[in-house]
Amino acid sequence: MNRSDLITKESTFGIINHWALAISCIVLTISGFGFLFQIQGIGSAFSGFPAMKVVHNWTGVVFTASLFLSMFNWLKESLTFDSDDIGWILTAGGYLSHKAKVPPMHKLNTGQKFFYLTLLVSGFAIAATGFIIWLMPENKSMLVLSHFIHNVSFIVITAFIPVHIYLSTLGNPGTLRIMITGKIPYWWAKKKHPKWVRELEEGHGN
Amino acid sequence: MARASLLISPELCIGCRACQIACKSWNQLPGDKTVNRGSFENPADLTPDLYNKIRFVEVPSENNPVRWLFVSQRCMHCDDAGCMKICPAPGALYKTKEGAVAFNKDKCIGCKLCSSACPFNVPRYDKNDKVSKCNLCADRIANNMAPACAKTCPTGAISFGDRDALISKAQKAGYAAVYGQADLGGLGAIYAFHDAPKLYGLADKPVIPEMVVFWHKYLKPLSWIGIGGTAALMLLHYVAIGPKKDQEDKDDE
Repeated sequence: MNRSDLITKESTFGIINHWALAISCIVLTISGFGFLFQIQGIGSAFSGFPAMKVVHNWTGVVFTASLFLSMFNWLKESLTFDSDDIGWILTAGGYLSHKAKVPPMHKLNTGQKFFYLTLLVSGFAIAATGFIIWLMPENKSMLVLSHFIHNVSFIVITAFIPVHIYLSTLGNPGTLRIMITGKIPYWWAKKKHPKWVRELEEGHGN
Repeated sequence: MARASLLISPELCIGCRACQIACKSWNQLPGDKTVNRGSFENPADLTPDLYNKIRFVEVPSENNPVRWLFVSQRCMHCDDAGCMKICPAPGALYKTKEGAVAFNKDKCIGCKLCSSACPFNVPRYDKNDKVSKCNLCADRIANNMAPACAKTCPTGAISFGDRDALISKAQKAGYAAVYGQADLGGLGAIYAFHDAPKLYGLADKPVIPEMVVFWHKYLKPLSWIGIGGTAALMLLHYVAIGPKKDQEDKDDE
């Protein structure tokens, strides 16, 4: 294999899945801030708050479905840890010092795994409570509790957004192409995901 | 106009419910179909078409097996209103300059969060899922008229006017503690009770659910701080440490 040959890191299913999550998440975050702080400008952009509620609810359906499907893409990998993950945490993934020697990673690095697991948990929490607020508002104590959890998970998810976007664009130039083509050059894969490449070459990877 | 309010004096109420009818009449609310529950209290609770209801309470007294208490139940027009805190749609619930908590159905998104944050279980939802409750006849008081209930009350059990004046009037009449004088920043419907508020079905200390208060005080600001804080951190990382430099296509094996 040549250094510049492209190998597939994400399937078409994975790419579409990620875009569905990304777009629905951004629409939900913007409308969510609109509701949280009664921001007129955001409401007007959705042609009024009643319309924004409809958009928010149904985008929530897209988000929930995408989050469910994402488990087929990234859950197994995200639950696989070994001693190199400790090393990754100790070196902060090499993000705090360019000299740090980061242990070899598999298809996802430790940070990405934790990011995915956090998104999965808080995503299902925000989805479940969202459906309760939408469909079962008659039970008042349940409504108050759901609204509370909805906002706690909102804080977690939205605080992660800038980190996730930064690390896949400015922080790691060139990474964004995975989101578009799903492919990375062989040299890149070998450098960033050596354990995964080794498995591929030994013929039992995916 | 300074803050206006209703003073409700159950001792004067004769349970005629003219206020219920006047309220329906002014606000153009249809009648509710009800069933006989063995009480003159009718309907059983506030409905989307019933903003003001006389609650009938039957209790034994010292010299009589039965004593009837009547009290007007409705939106209390809290100064610190839980419904307004939690409402996600600007203008759906709003304060008039007289201190009434009024509503605009066109702006209501029908989420029902207000009903979960109300200390008095007041907001109802009509068949279009729009908020529906007493608005202190905001249209009347804006034109210097008393709310329909107060206007109609034949005994003065419901009176309307300047809030401070009503409080001192009640105190002069011998009601040491006026219910709602200080609760929730002061209610816009205050009560002259001789008996414990509980007897009338009202909490001694009405409060907005703690979770709603905590959400309003801490979670809301944290939402901005969270996304803004990490965005700032990322910017700082870009400037101070810089992006990963191992992206170039060069061999370092």
